[in-house]
Amino acid sequence: MRIFVAPSAELPLYRQIMRQIAEAIAGGRLMPGDKLDSHRDLAEQLVIAPLTVKKAYDELEALGYIETQRGRGTFVCAKPPQISIGKQREQLRAAARLLLSEAYLNGFDYNAVLKIIKEADAEILLGRLKEIP
Amino acid sequence: MKAVLEFENIVRAYKKGVPVLNGVSFALAEGEVVGLLGRNGAGKTTLIRIAMGLLYPQEGSVRVFGISPTDDPVAVKQRIGYVSEDQILPPGSSVSDLIGFHRYLFPRWDAALERQLLDRFGLSPKAKIARLSKGEARQVALLCAICHRPDLLLLDEPGGGLDPAARREFLEASIQLLNREGSAILFSSHHMSDVERLGGRVVLLDQGKVCLDCDLDMIREDLCVAIIPQAWVPDAAALERVPGCLRVRQMSGEEWHAVFHGSPDDVRTRLQPLLGSAGIECMRVPLEELFIELVGGKPSEVAL
Repeated sequence: MRIFVAPSAELPLYRQIMRQIAEAIAGGRLMPGDKLDSHRDLAEQLVIAPLTVKKAYDELEALGYIETQRGRGTFVCAKPPQISIGKQREQLRAAARLLLSEAYLNGFDYNAVLKIIKEADAEILLGRLKEIP
Repeated sequence: MKAVLEFENIVRAYKKGVPVLNGVSFALAEGEVVGLLGRNGAGKTTLIRIAMGLLYPQEGSVRVFGISPTDDPVAVKQRIGYVSEDQILPPGSSVSDLIGFHRYLFPRWDAALERQLLDRFGLSPKAKIARLSKGEARQVALLCAICHRPDLLLLDEPGGGLDPAARREFLEASIQLLNREGSAILFSSHHMSDVERLGGRVVLLDQGKVCLDCDLDMIREDLCVAIIPQAWVPDAAALERVPGCLRVRQMSGEEWHAVFHGSPDDVRTRLQPLLGSAGIECMRVPLEELFIELVGGKPSEVAL
């Protein structure tokens, strides 16, 4: 998979990397057992400090998305992370309210929003998501 | 962790009574990367020159690997690499002569790295320094600064005057060095995107002092800017008294811009006693905006 970072974006670089890897796992572009680039290799590819990539990997590991096997490398975990479903739903619902109110303000109706969500879903699956908002 | 570079209470003036640096203290640990920021005239170059032993501090002390760089310049310089924007390389010599000279000076010289960098930068060893472009000359300077695998790399505005492609190549080489050698780096830059790429920690100089010394990610996630109409708070001092306030500046349009520690929600809560229920704009901002909020909007008093 290809990762892109934008230094002047609102999110810090390590969060941009975390988000893209988590999205790739959610979208099935990264499968359980897949090997990730070493943090040093990825740092050279992205031209950012190795410690920044390491921080992203460490946080993803703490969240249970990936695991480092000493001497072998970093891999996508066999089991997806166990996140509290209720809390996750609550966060999603808040994000959905925000999305809908912004859409209504701009004159989109409910069906138009649904269509945009479908398009976004297709983009994630195709891995065309190049820029992080 | 052991400190590779320590500034303690550094004072330096070029004109009597007008200190450029007025009590600057901070340290770099082994392998740490620190971006040194500040406006033109804030003293970044002066500070880096003091670390190199090219300038004396008038007060305070500097230690490089635990030694004063003016007490034992050879021991210190063998383990330092230095590139600056206005570095002058001998114009009459060829690239290979200059590299040969450095190879002779540094016992730790890595010939394989030298070949690799020559190849990567596409530099011709026979070329005369005087005939190189600005970008190529900076690449030669970088090569000479890192092929002895320094423990500390001092970069004074290394991307200054370079085109984006040359700046990127420079960054790539620095990151490779970080990866392979774990060298500590202190670099000054006005390019905030380069600071984000390379930096782990940021030290911001203003008015001769360290005005901010903070992890880069902390800055991005833990500082925010509130925009407050002056009609609501007539007095800047009242805002400055709010806990976590770093700086208030007056904007046109009768507004205050105030930088705070904490999340936007936290800051709104802290401002509530002052503003009541009035809603204000409060947001996290990119590094470049933050730089302007913290040191912009007034002429630097230490210039000249």
